[in-house]
Amino acid sequence: MIAAAVTLNISWIVLNWRELGTLILGVIFFGIVIAGLVLNTIFLVREIRRNEQQDSFLHAVTHELKTPLTSIRLYLQTLQSRSLDDTQRQEFYRVMLADSDRLLGTVEQVLHAAELGHSKNMLEEIVDMEKLVRECLEEARTHHHLSPESLRLLNETGAGAKVIGSREELRSAVTNVLDNAIKYSGKKVDIQVELSADENVSLKIRDNGIGIPRAELKRVFKRFYRVADREVARVKGSGLGLFIVRSIAKKHGGNAFAESEGPGRGATITIQLPRAI
Amino acid sequence: MSRVLIVEDEEHLALGLKFNLEAEGLEADIVGDGKAALKLLLNSENGIDAVILDVMLPGMNGFEVVTQLRNAKQYVPVLMLTARGRPEDVLRGFESGVDDYLPKPFELSILVARLRGLLRRKQWATGEQGGAGTAIPDSETQNVFAFDGKRLDFATLELHVKNQTIQLTVMEAELLRHLIRNEGKAVSRKSILEDVWDLREDTDTRAIDNFIVRLRRYLEDVPAKPKHLLTVRGVGYKFVANPAKARGKSL
Repeated sequence: MIAAAVTLNISWIVLNWRELGTLILGVIFFGIVIAGLVLNTIFLVREIRRNEQQDSFLHAVTHELKTPLTSIRLYLQTLQSRSLDDTQRQEFYRVMLADSDRLLGTVEQVLHAAELGHSKNMLEEIVDMEKLVRECLEEARTHHHLSPESLRLLNETGAGAKVIGSREELRSAVTNVLDNAIKYSGKKVDIQVELSADENVSLKIRDNGIGIPRAELKRVFKRFYRVADREVARVKGSGLGLFIVRSIAKKHGGNAFAESEGPGRGATITIQLPRAI
Repeated sequence: MSRVLIVEDEEHLALGLKFNLEAEGLEADIVGDGKAALKLLLNSENGIDAVILDVMLPGMNGFEVVTQLRNAKQYVPVLMLTARGRPEDVLRGFESGVDDYLPKPFELSILVARLRGLLRRKQWATGEQGGAGTAIPDSETQNVFAFDGKRLDFATLELHVKNQTIQLTVMEAELLRHLIRNEGKAVSRKSILEDVWDLREDTDTRAIDNFIVRLRRYLEDVPAKPKHLLTVRGVGYKFVANPAKARGKSL
């Protein structure tokens, strides 16, 4: 069949050789049209995906901003309109403070993510990562009311883990990973942090939480990306945390990646940074 | 004492609501996820008089909960709380059978008033006495409207058609009431959005069409050839109580 078709085609070309030029032009034009269509479809699909991500981000951020705000207003209106005893008052103040912390956290995260795309400030400070990690751990324990055992720093190999960069940005990266590990741990928090220094400074944060499906290990670092999973939906977030972590790591000449044996089996996030000599 | 179920996964919000409802003399329970709420609400002996339902819930979102509830012929009044408050979300809520909605953040006094409104309707529907259920919802319109062998009771939200009783949601009843008030006149989609649902933004109006499709299924003998709920091309809809008379007039 194919041979017959080819023969027929060739004989047609031989018989109509005068029209060969037009034929070639036609084929080229046809090719251009097809290529245009393919390119158009690719751009369209990309744009749709971007819009979807943008939409899910807006959705998540609206929720993250409005929920604590609603709670604060509800408690303020309650304080205003009802007679309360002192214990209740104190409890309401505590709730409102926790909610305003949550609100502030979201605002800072969004602003930080926006800044990362633009700022080009030079990073010159020498940062002692061991000290920084210890401070972040202490802060996380206090903030989330955790015992030293449930969030612990393994061995003492972090000596000499010095990095050139911005202390505040590195702190933000470490805090983001720690917060994520705690958020996705569920009720029983068991997180191990390991800092090592050879050619690179490497910080591994391992949790025993809900884990990450293999196919999603890279995508979790994308801006606005959140794993589509019921367990993940239980935990509220903007889809910016790991994007911020990787952006900061890259800005410092390093990288960040995720490992997990799958859903329900915990995850390890590693931040790798070039060591300052 | 009326019992309210708060379906909200945000602990602070749920506890704040519970505190306030109890201060108002109501009983309040909290459920943190959609599936558990549905399971509890489908149990006919739950004793729940009204539900405050968040949309973004783990397990199953608020829209799905109401849809499944209505499919199972459970008509407990539902007040939906939504963080986005976009018209399409609100309309989606009404479509799934929600009775009322409030965008977050809400005013505590308004939430309590709306909830009391829903509880009152529930009391009328079940014929219970007491509570604040003395006032007629709208003195301009009669509470029972009969037309063409059908009877619509705005107090109990029941539509009686051919020995059959159909339970309407508050929003379906409000839409019908609006169309009936303007009987014989074309009512624009914009007017429905603004006057019935208090939505003032330009929005996709297909949600209204879906409502009309559903109402036609209840009201019309042949929903594909409506006689009462007519489409007015390019404008919106028109309610005709007595099609034979209307036809006579136009001849």
